[in-house]
Amino acid sequence: MEEVIGLIAANYSSSGLGELTEERTIASLPFGGRYRLIDFPLSNMVNAGLNTVGVVTPYKYRSIIDHIGAGKAWSLDRKNGGLFVLPGSVFGISNSSSRFLLRDISRNRVYLLRSPAPYVLVSGANIVCNMDCRKLIEAHLKSGADITLTYKTAAEDNPFLTGLRVEGGRVVGMTRGVRRGEPAFLDCFMISRSLLLKIVEWYSAINYLDLFEVLEEDYDKMDVGLCEFTGYAAAVFDTQSYFRHNMELLDPAVYDEVFSGERPVMTKVQDYAPAKYLDGARVANSLVSAGCVISGSVENSVLFRGVTVEKGAVVRNSIVMQNCVLQSGAQVDNAILDRNNVIPSGTVLKGTPEEALIKEKRADQP
Amino acid sequence: MKKKECIAMLLAGGQGSRLGALTKNIAKPAVSFGGKYRIIDFSLSNCANSQIGTVGVLTQYRPFRLNSYIGTGAAWDLDERDGGVFILPPYATQSGGEWYKGTADAVFQNLDFIDAHAPEYVLILSGDHLYRMDYRKMLKSHLDNNAELTVSVMRVPWEEASRFGIITADADGRIAKFTEKPRKPDSDLASMGIYIFSRDVLKKALVEDSRDPKSEHDFGKDIIPKLLAGGHRLYCYEFSGFWKDVGTIPSYHETSMGLLDPKPEFDLYSPEFPVMSNANIQPPHYIGPSGSANNCMIANGCRVFGSVRHSILSLDSYVGEGAEVTDSILLPGAKVKRGARVTRAILGEGAVVA
Repeated sequence: MEEVIGLIAANYSSSGLGELTEERTIASLPFGGRYRLIDFPLSNMVNAGLNTVGVVTPYKYRSIIDHIGAGKAWSLDRKNGGLFVLPGSVFGISNSSSRFLLRDISRNRVYLLRSPAPYVLVSGANIVCNMDCRKLIEAHLKSGADITLTYKTAAEDNPFLTGLRVEGGRVVGMTRGVRRGEPAFLDCFMISRSLLLKIVEWYSAINYLDLFEVLEEDYDKMDVGLCEFTGYAAAVFDTQSYFRHNMELLDPAVYDEVFSGERPVMTKVQDYAPAKYLDGARVANSLVSAGCVISGSVENSVLFRGVTVEKGAVVRNSIVMQNCVLQSGAQVDNAILDRNNVIPSGTVLKGTPEEALIKEKRADQP
Repeated sequence: MKKKECIAMLLAGGQGSRLGALTKNIAKPAVSFGGKYRIIDFSLSNCANSQIGTVGVLTQYRPFRLNSYIGTGAAWDLDERDGGVFILPPYATQSGGEWYKGTADAVFQNLDFIDAHAPEYVLILSGDHLYRMDYRKMLKSHLDNNAELTVSVMRVPWEEASRFGIITADADGRIAKFTEKPRKPDSDLASMGIYIFSRDVLKKALVEDSRDPKSEHDFGKDIIPKLLAGGHRLYCYEFSGFWKDVGTIPSYHETSMGLLDPKPEFDLYSPEFPVMSNANIQPPHYIGPSGSANNCMIANGCRVFGSVRHSILSLDSYVGEGAEVTDSILLPGAKVKRGARVTRAILGEGAVVA
């Protein structure tokens, strides 16, 4: 697909994620046992045939570069095209409505200038979905619109998503927050490369704003169309939504859709051995990753790679990230344990269904 | 290790016919093992971890699956610019072309490949073995002894010694005798089929052997005895650690089940010397509300809604509700449907039990 290049904004964050995003942007957030949120838009683009993708990184980019590297896992380690790292200027934009900071696109406009492709597929990096982007691409090409936005009809009120005001099948404005039954923007859109470059140039004086903020008054001058997505889409904005969407992967229907074999979600590979269950292990309704060693009890939980649950330890309704150790007699319920936490024997960590208890990331041991 | 000081020639051409249905359509080194690996992962990972950057893989029997699995060698960091992994099948020439007639013949037919990389030493390996070994230690011993050929050996139980090629060595490790499957073994040192040759010694031996019409062109049966008889400097390198050639269905099953011990003899989890593999990216496995897992290994992508006991579920397997899997191995993609019972079985890749 030489006509379309990709652009992923991985340079923003959300204040609602607290300690989870203190040392990482939202795009780097571990999700679903072995992934990071950026894997979803990146895999969607590559699965649609794009072989050139630029990733706008935050100022503190170590974590995201460590994960995407040269793009090998997404077959983007190429001579022609490939993965382009586009350094951004800001570490996390707490205002979560600003996903597409004009300044960071402007600073990296050489990526847009050097490509001959007529179109750019732009995406944020905090919505989990397995999307066939070819539909969006086709819809955009067919309609001849200036911009085509992907949306999903909101199943419930959501103050974090961007709502679209639609008249006569055209988008005429955006709202912060969306009501149930209204179209919610999935932060994924098609735009012609020349138009994007023009917008960056026209609004260079106010490029501290988001792309759609500067276009607020311009909907009457442009043709902004829509493309509907009806599959599973999960927006991660705060700890509650992070927790809820990880747990939704425990529903086989969601699991099968998100991890579809047809459009696999690709991620950085690590050589962990398969998970091992020892005698006495009790596990139910849980997602367990490679390298885990389970002797205790695991229920309704998502375990990332290399987690140890010793005999007598109990973990329920929780998300346990890479390399945590739950020692014998530890009890963890409704919690999010970030990397490398060791929960000593006898410790009880209990959050509530409304508010998970978070244990922040510990340093890697030498 | 200096680059191109030593290259590896990995014998992966055999069928492994005693593995029956498992090797009906694929070569033995391509057979799945340990949930997410293929047997060749172990020797390829050993090469990578021993900093051997050039590996020739000699294929013959049903190589398609093996070739696609090896790919560019990236999974073992063997996608190098000046080296890497090379698949070496039998080939046609102006004067005809021959299938490989034996292990020594396979290497003989690829002497050009070896010369093109011009190493000082050549490591001959089998792609069938399960073990972890740093070949640099064996090379050091080869250099220290000023040897022309070094054979890696292991102590085996005396009762089993008659199954192996047995080596009798003197106190310095110099090989005095080499007997294939001796009825009355006088040593418990068994040859592992892993050799380091100095390149010119290898070349000369292979060329001479190729002219011998009575030879079976096999390293163990022909090359080693001839070099020994010729008074060459043959030494042994003693290896200690887990090493297995899972050549039969019972040994495949037994070795696999051994991985499930709380402290297995062969530990797959070694961060210093990892076993690398080219597994497809699959999500973490899911165990349902009425599923259960005890004493087992479950690889990524599995969906478990029934009970799994003392078994290995390889990548992307499925166990339906009410189904029971015990003492078994499900190879990648195998499915055990609702209510079925599988006991002491090996289900091949993609097999379905309804």
